[in-house]
Amino acid sequence: MIEPADFPIASIPAPVLAFVILVSAISFFSYIMFRRIDLLRKLMPDHRFSDIWERIKFAVIYGFFQYRQPRYLGAGILHILLFAGFMILSLRSLTLIGQGFSSQFHLPFLTGSPGLFYDILKDYTGIIVLGVCIIAIIRRAVFHPARYAHPGAEGHQNEAYIILGLVAALMVTDMIFDGSSLKGAAVSGKSCMFPAASLAAFFMPALGSSTLNFIHIASYWAHILVFFSLLNYLPISKHFHVITAIPNVFFANLNRGRIKPVRWGVEDWMELEEIGVSRFEGFTWKHVLDFYSCADCGRCTDNCPANAVGRHLSPKMISIKARDYAYKYYPIFGSPPDPGETRFIGDIITENEIWACTTCGACEQECPIFIEYIDKIVDMRRYLLDQGRLPLSLQKPMQQIKKKGNAYGGSKGKRSAWAKEIEGVEIRELKPGDHADLLFFVDSCGSFDPRIQEISKSFARILSKTSSDFGILGQDETDSGNEIRRLGEEGLFEQVSGKNIEAFQARGFKEITAFDPHAFNVIRNDYPERFPIIHSSQLLARFLRDGKLTLSGDYLNNRVVTYHDPCYLGRHNGIYDEPRYVLSKIPGIQLREMVCSFSRSFCCSGGGILLWYENEEEKERMGERRVRMAQEVGSQVIVTACPFCLINLEDAIKTTGNEGKIEVIDIVELIDRSML
Amino acid sequence: MNIVVCIKWTPDTSEADLTLESSGKDIKKDDLDFDVNDWDRFAIEEAVQIKEKMGGSVSVITVAPDDAEEMLRESLARGADQAFHLWDDAFEGSDGYAVASILAKFIRDRPYDLILTGTLADDDGGGQVGGMLAAMLNIPSSTLVSKIQIQGTTINFNRELEGGLGEAIEMDLPALVSVATGLNEPRFVSIRAVRKVSSVEIPMLDLGEIGIDESKVGYDGSMIQIEKVYLPPEGEGAEIIKGNPEEAAARLAEILREKGGIG
Amino acid sequence: MKNVFVLAEQRNQQLRDITWEAIAAGRKLAGDLGAELSCILLSGRVEDMAQKLALECPKVLAVEDPRLDTFNSEAIIRALVPILHDQGPFVLVMGNSNSIIDLAPGLSVALEAALATDCFGLEVHDGKLMAIRQMYSYKVNALVSFKDAQRVVVTLRGGSFSFTPSEQKSGIIEKIPSPLGEDSQRKRFLNYVEAEKGDVDIASADIIVSVGRGIGDEPDMEVFQSLAETMGGVLACSRPIVDKNLLPKYHQVGTSGVEVKPKVYLALGISGAFQHLGGIKGSPLLAAINKDARAPIFRVAQYGIVGDLNELVPILEEKIKAIKKS
Repeated sequence: MIEPADFPIASIPAPVLAFVILVSAISFFSYIMFRRIDLLRKLMPDHRFSDIWERIKFAVIYGFFQYRQPRYLGAGILHILLFAGFMILSLRSLTLIGQGFSSQFHLPFLTGSPGLFYDILKDYTGIIVLGVCIIAIIRRAVFHPARYAHPGAEGHQNEAYIILGLVAALMVTDMIFDGSSLKGAAVSGKSCMFPAASLAAFFMPALGSSTLNFIHIASYWAHILVFFSLLNYLPISKHFHVITAIPNVFFANLNRGRIKPVRWGVEDWMELEEIGVSRFEGFTWKHVLDFYSCADCGRCTDNCPANAVGRHLSPKMISIKARDYAYKYYPIFGSPPDPGETRFIGDIITENEIWACTTCGACEQECPIFIEYIDKIVDMRRYLLDQGRLPLSLQKPMQQIKKKGNAYGGSKGKRSAWAKEIEGVEIRELKPGDHADLLFFVDSCGSFDPRIQEISKSFARILSKTSSDFGILGQDETDSGNEIRRLGEEGLFEQVSGKNIEAFQARGFKEITAFDPHAFNVIRNDYPERFPIIHSSQLLARFLRDGKLTLSGDYLNNRVVTYHDPCYLGRHNGIYDEPRYVLSKIPGIQLREMVCSFSRSFCCSGGGILLWYENEEEKERMGERRVRMAQEVGSQVIVTACPFCLINLEDAIKTTGNEGKIEVIDIVELIDRSML
Repeated sequence: MNIVVCIKWTPDTSEADLTLESSGKDIKKDDLDFDVNDWDRFAIEEAVQIKEKMGGSVSVITVAPDDAEEMLRESLARGADQAFHLWDDAFEGSDGYAVASILAKFIRDRPYDLILTGTLADDDGGGQVGGMLAAMLNIPSSTLVSKIQIQGTTINFNRELEGGLGEAIEMDLPALVSVATGLNEPRFVSIRAVRKVSSVEIPMLDLGEIGIDESKVGYDGSMIQIEKVYLPPEGEGAEIIKGNPEEAAARLAEILREKGGIG
Repeated sequence: MKNVFVLAEQRNQQLRDITWEAIAAGRKLAGDLGAELSCILLSGRVEDMAQKLALECPKVLAVEDPRLDTFNSEAIIRALVPILHDQGPFVLVMGNSNSIIDLAPGLSVALEAALATDCFGLEVHDGKLMAIRQMYSYKVNALVSFKDAQRVVVTLRGGSFSFTPSEQKSGIIEKIPSPLGEDSQRKRFLNYVEAEKGDVDIASADIIVSVGRGIGDEPDMEVFQSLAETMGGVLACSRPIVDKNLLPKYHQVGTSGVEVKPKVYLALGISGAFQHLGGIKGSPLLAAINKDARAPIFRVAQYGIVGDLNELVPILEEKIKAIKKS
């Protein structure tokens, strides 16, 4: 059998052909990559080079070890096999390329026993990868997984089939190449070492040696061509992620729960001409790298609560539409078309989509390669709000926060009126210069909403019962500003956070505590000054561990309980276990988890001033859907640890006709009623 | 299109508990938050939208003490080109008539095609200034206006009657139009938008600079006077109407007629 | 004051209800001031209306002019100023309808009269007229005087003065030639505009019938719509009704819905959650029907019935219709 390097094609020596193919394919590829990367240079800055060691760990765990893939078990396993196969077989393809120049070519370490071991390994891998491709094609074509749908834009289904086809072809050509060798060498008994090659050989009819050699050569060049086609196809299709995924993970956002500044590197953002994302070029380079990296897998949208209830938001489609835009207006060859009247914000990404997001983080939690959405939504909101386009339902509460420091319209003087209504508990209002161990940050809902005032009182009772030294800010407290920032009013956010920080700095305390995860999140992650802060559920866990509280099961009375993880406690801050620990301390508690729990928890529809947001497209409330999930596990009590979840779920109890059948209660209230 | 918008600086009394001043002639306003009158916000937005469509300029005027400056600045952030702040201590105590006189004196010699105001102010609910100002300037006026369309020197609009009925009216410019709420969606004004216009000068004009006589302003220039204000007596919750459905419904219908003017 | 004038309000040559309330107020005022009561009627055809008015007023001044047929503040001012010009000191009483608010301020300036609007009370103290009106989100009552004004214009809040027909013999009808000259009108009425059902703006409605969850899961909305129409008002609702797609969004009253400032609010099957009540501004006459005696709405309503809506609403509508007929 003459090997490819020694077999001229149309009188051209094979190494020349190999060289030409190699150089043109690589040049082509480099040019495409250059054009793609060149776009990134034209975009807004992003600071992603801090904590290099942490980033390397991320890339290894989530990139190489595909840590998030198994969240969808079936597809996850398929993908892990494909990826592992890819890693292993890349060495094979490099070897084959080299063998176009010399039939003795091998990679430095792949000789002798390691070489043989590798050859066996890659043979098994080849068959597995081929099997995966076939399963993947069948799955896509026959079972149409819902999350692959492409509402609102052109689909890229064909690209999936092309890629799977190319990969399968890569496997098959390699199998034929080796199979033909095997057949030609007429060696038997190698099938368990080289199943792929053997399989291919099996299907080859008895052929004359020159025909066999021809097949051997043809399959070789076919493999080379398929390989380079695949390589060059990646950056012009939805499979760019093959190249960009691991860098994307390396550059991931390490600051969970924090929103990016208006512009990285700019202190005085108010002076900028434009803020936020008004045009595509307003995104940062990392955001566009995200768009490049989206594999169109749809896991984000599959978990998006807004999408589930019928709002026209699909996180995946934002990435796909943005990437389509990038590919169209920054083409590799030729000049870009005239956009005419089409505006990126408004036409490509609609205002409805932008305001429909509750910033729950389910999308970001799910994405295997850490594509971000929240910062992008916030940046687009920043632009819209700067133009005066804030949904009408949100304008009044926003205005109230500006004027009165809370969305409820309550007067500042009455902020701590609730504190005077508790029997037997004295609540200290800390004046500047005062000290306490704990600073209880009540926030606007706890101060002005009659239902939430009940939680404030419960918390105060517990703090008093545990003889904690605590105090509240009183009139000096302003809205914490979590949703203000996430709705794009950065100026107002600076104002409210500035006021709160001043109030904090004027008083002495060891820790701040709050029962509102939104306040907890924004103070912990977004405020420019750091203060130690602990959520009520964590504080309760501490009291219980230290034996400062004893609980009775009387209040629950053996009812089935389920715990609803608030987005801003769970996903954004990783606090899942402490609330459950607290619940476990109630004697005889029957705790059942909903199907969507922990990091898969389903958003109640939002907190802060999002309570006032009206969406016209939704077919049901997120809260109602969540109550149905609780019903599915037969729960009689839903415990939550966020006042806004409480309001939304209580509303939903009524509108789903479950009044009297299911109780919703905050964990603080529950402990208050279960204390001995 | 030169548009002038007259706006009012009013206290937000919707959520507050009100207490009376010692004189008994007004409520205590020190603890209240002031903002632009809700109706006027729609007027400013309408003016800016007209300007954006047809070109021209929008000037905003208020007769209010110093702290109203933030309202004028917000109006500039909303899209107005100029703002004028008219105040003198002598203006204290002016009723609708006196305020209209002040505005008329100031506006009379300036170029304008259209004056916009809100129909009512949320504090006294008088609805006087707009119509009085128009009469003093001898221009036609109308109230509760929406769906404004301007062509050449004519303005067409709808005005609300009751129960969903309206009338289509046409007026010759120059004219004064008092808008209804909800005729447009006022844009949101962010803190940054206000910051951007923070260096624009807002002239403050007093009695002398406006050129109006002291006898025409304040208590002296007013035609009506508030002798006293008082809080209406508090109820103790609903009076529950008893009886079988016939009786109860009959009694309720009576009450609706007697106290609500229904039927 | 020598004279009390009442301006009759007519549309399509029918006298509007508020005219009678104005006459009731005018009567009392004339009595308290010792003044003569006259009614002014401006219309394209005055005959029938003038006779009806003459049964209740000692004197009717009628001006017939087609230009006065549809309410046009400019034409009315041009007509009234010469008529009232040399009548000496007077009080002009009108109902505070949406048409009158277009007229009163300009008219007052033209007449050089003092004006108080939306008054729900008129009193005479020491021979001087005082008006009572509300201010500051309808939370405060104000007693207003007119200094030394020789001429006063007051507009009256609907439903504040009740009218009873008098037993007098017919008053005098004086027909006055139309003072309107040939000056062109700068303000022109074009046509009436009927609201499509979809254009209902509950924010400006004076009378609101509002339904909440208590109306049940499969209610007959027609029943409530009919009641609202009979009452001369609009149908509104709380959020759950919109959520169930029983009414479109712009019917929702509440902090996240529409803010309303009605004079009458009938709450049917509404519990009284503060998000709903927060949308009701002012101090309307608030009546509630709810089957739960402990519903928070009964704390803020002035009147309530604890009972079954399905029974009560049809009967209520009947009763109101009967009152309207009488």
